[in-house]
Amino acid sequence: MATTIAPQQDSHVVMARRARRRSAGHRRTRSALLFLTPFGILFCALMLAPIGYALAQSLFRVERSGLGLGAPKNAFVGFSNYLAALQDSAFTASLLRVVLIGLVQVPLMMGLALVLALLLDSAVARLKRTFRLIYFLPYALPGVSAAIMWSFLYQPSISPITAALSRVGLDVDLLSGNLVYVAIANMMTWSYTGFNMLVIYSALQAIPTELGEAGRVDGCGEWRVAWHIKIPAVRPALVLTTIFSMIGTAQLYNDPEILHQVSPAISSSFTPIMAVQESTATNNYNAAAAQSILLAALTFVLSFGALKLSQRKERQS
Amino acid sequence: MALPLTKRVGAVVAAASLTALGACSSSGQEGAQGPGGAGPVTVEFWGSAIGLDKAVALFNQSHKDVKINYSQISPGSAGGYAKMLNAVKAGNAPCLGQVGYDTLPSFAAADAVEDVSEYANPSKDKFVPWAWGLSGIGGQLFGIPVDLGPEALFYRSDLFKKYGITAPTTWDEFAAAAQKVHAADAKAYLTTLPESAYDLGALTWQTGSKWFGTKNNAWQVTIDNAQTQKVAQYWQGLLDKKLVVSEPTFDTAWYKDIQDGRVLSYVGAVWASALIEENAPGASGKWSVAPMPQWTAGEKASGNRGGSATAVLKGCKNLKEATEAAVWLSTDNGSVTSLIQNTGIYPAAKAGQQLPTANQPSEYFGGKNIYAVFREAAANIPEGWVWGPTMTAVQPDFKDGLKKVGAGEGTIPELVTKVQAKTVSGMKGQGLSVSD
Repeated sequence: MATTIAPQQDSHVVMARRARRRSAGHRRTRSALLFLTPFGILFCALMLAPIGYALAQSLFRVERSGLGLGAPKNAFVGFSNYLAALQDSAFTASLLRVVLIGLVQVPLMMGLALVLALLLDSAVARLKRTFRLIYFLPYALPGVSAAIMWSFLYQPSISPITAALSRVGLDVDLLSGNLVYVAIANMMTWSYTGFNMLVIYSALQAIPTELGEAGRVDGCGEWRVAWHIKIPAVRPALVLTTIFSMIGTAQLYNDPEILHQVSPAISSSFTPIMAVQESTATNNYNAAAAQSILLAALTFVLSFGALKLSQRKERQS
Repeated sequence: MALPLTKRVGAVVAAASLTALGACSSSGQEGAQGPGGAGPVTVEFWGSAIGLDKAVALFNQSHKDVKINYSQISPGSAGGYAKMLNAVKAGNAPCLGQVGYDTLPSFAAADAVEDVSEYANPSKDKFVPWAWGLSGIGGQLFGIPVDLGPEALFYRSDLFKKYGITAPTTWDEFAAAAQKVHAADAKAYLTTLPESAYDLGALTWQTGSKWFGTKNNAWQVTIDNAQTQKVAQYWQGLLDKKLVVSEPTFDTAWYKDIQDGRVLSYVGAVWASALIEENAPGASGKWSVAPMPQWTAGEKASGNRGGSATAVLKGCKNLKEATEAAVWLSTDNGSVTSLIQNTGIYPAAKAGQQLPTANQPSEYFGGKNIYAVFREAAANIPEGWVWGPTMTAVQPDFKDGLKKVGAGEGTIPELVTKVQAKTVSGMKGQGLSVSD
C-alpha cells in the first residue's frame, strides 16, 4: 500500500542496485519454482483435475430406454442437473440446514475455544499440560467412534442423560424434532473445540511477554490484558480457525450419518454431503457432481466472505 | 442388501470414510485365459461376506481346469457395489460379484451384468423357484442364487407364557396379542414398527402381490397396490393404538429391549437368528420361532428379506466357466455346508436346505431346530416378486418415511402412495420406460 518514491539519487547507483536485485530475483524465482513443483503437481492432480472432472460430469446425464438393459448413453444437458438440484427441496433444505447450524455453532465453539485458550495462557493457570491434553483429547478420537459414543448417550432407552433428566421430571428425546440440532452442535463442539483452542493457544504463546508486562505495569488486570493485548494479537488465528470451522460445518457428515440410524428427525439427505452420497448410491453420478459443485461454491463464498469481512475490519481498526 | 451379518459393520464403514470408497482395484482379468490357452482358466470373484473364501478354497481344491481368485471387498452398501460398478465402467471388473437380489436389477439397468441363462438353465431345478426369479429380469438371468431370507416370527416364549399368549397364527391374533401385552404392562410392546422398504416388502410379499414387474420392455411399478395398503393400514392401526413401538432394530437399544422384555417379538428373516443370539446373550433359551402369522387362517405363506446371488459381471470373458463355478459354490454339499458354517447363510439350493448343518438344533432357541420353520417358510414364499431398478432410492424413501410415521408425522398408507409416485418419477427421470 505504501508507495515509495525514488529519492533523487545518483542514477547509476540506482541502476546497479536494480541489476543486483534482478539477478537475485531470478535465482529466487527459480528456487521458488523448484519448491513449488511438487505442490503444484499434487494440487493439479488431486484438486484441479477432480474439480474439472466433476464440472464436466455435472453437465451430462445418463440416458436409458425401455427396461434399461443394454448400454446407457451419455447426453449433454447443460445446466439442467444444477437446476434439478436447486429445485430439489431436500437438497436446498440441506444447504440451509448446515448454514443455520454453522451460524449458531461456530461462534459458540470459537468463543469457548478462545476462553479455554486464555485460561490456559493466564498467569495463574495450574496443570497447564494436563488441561491442554484433556481439551485436545476429543479431537484425537476418530470422528466415527466419537459419533457412535454420542449416539449411545442420546438414544432414549439407553441414554444416561435422558434417564437423569426424566428423574427430575423432564421427559426429552434428544434425537427428535429440533433437539437433534442441539445434539449435533454439541457433538461438533465437543470434537473440535480442543483443536481450535490449541491453534489459538499457540498464537497466544507467540505474543512477546513484554507486552503483557507493559500492560500490567500500566495498571491493567488479567482481564484487560486479555481484552486489549491478547485477543487483538491472536486475531489472525481466530480468523483462520473460524474459516476452517465454517468449511467443516458445510461438509458435516459423520455425526448426522451415525445419528441417522437412530433418529427419526434425520433424513437421508440431512446435510449436503449426505445428499451427494444418496445420489451416488442411486448411481446418479451426474446429479452428485452438480450437487458437489454447488456445495463447493457455497463454501467458497462463505469462507471468502468471512475472510474479506475480517480484513476490512482489520483495516478500519 | 449385503449379507446381513455385516449390516452394522457396513453402516459404520460407510460413515467412516468417503475417500476410501473411491479407490478402485486394478485387479481385473489379468489371469484369465481362454479355454484353449495353456493352464487353468482363472475366474475373479469379489465378495463381501465373511468366510466366503473358505468355500472358494474348497472349489479350488477340487477343480483343476478352473481356478477362482477371491477378493474380499466392502459390503455393497458400504461401497462394494460402487466399486463393482466402477470396475465395470473401467473395463476391469471381476467375472463374479456378490450382489443382493434387491440390487441386481439396478446392476442390470447400469448394463453391468451378463445374461448367463444359456449356461445356467440346466441347474434351474436345484434352486427354490422364486430365488431363481429374483436373479434375473424378463427371461434373462444375471446370476446364481446363493442365499435366502425367509421370514418367521421370533418371540420370547418365557414372556409369552407370562402374559398368557400363544404364538399368534394369524395377523388378527397378532393384534390381539399386542393389545394383551400392552394392557398387562404399559412399558412392554409385542413388537416394533416395520422400519424399511425390506420389512414392508416382505410383509407385502407374503400376500402374493408385488411391487415391480416387467411387461413389453417397460417397468411396472405397483408399490401402492391394494395388498400393500392392507399391510400398511394394519400396522398403522397398531401404531395408532400405541401397541407397537417405533425403534430401529439390530441396534444397541433394540438388543437391550429384547433382553429386558420391553420388546417381545420380531417378524424377520432367518439371518436375524444369529444376530439375536450374538447380541442378546442374556435371553438364551428364552426365544422360540413360529411361522409368520397369516392373513387367512390355515395358510402357510411367508415373505423374504435379504439374500444374494453370485452375479456374472459385464465384460467377463469366460461366461461358461464363471457360471458353472458359481453354480458349484451354491449347490455342492461341501461348499454349502461351509457357507452355512462360516458365512451364516441360509441356502437357496433345495438340497442344501436338507443338509444336517442347516438343521442343527440351537440351544439359544430352546434346543429346537428352528430351521425346520424357515425351510417350510422358504417353500411357501410366493413366486414372481421382482425388485425394481432404483431400490437405492426406494429404501431411504421408505426408511425416512417410516421413521417419521413412528414419530407421529403422516401415516403408512400415505407414505406408500408417496413412495409409489416418487419411484415412478425417479425411474422416468433416468429414462426408463414405466407403463401405467
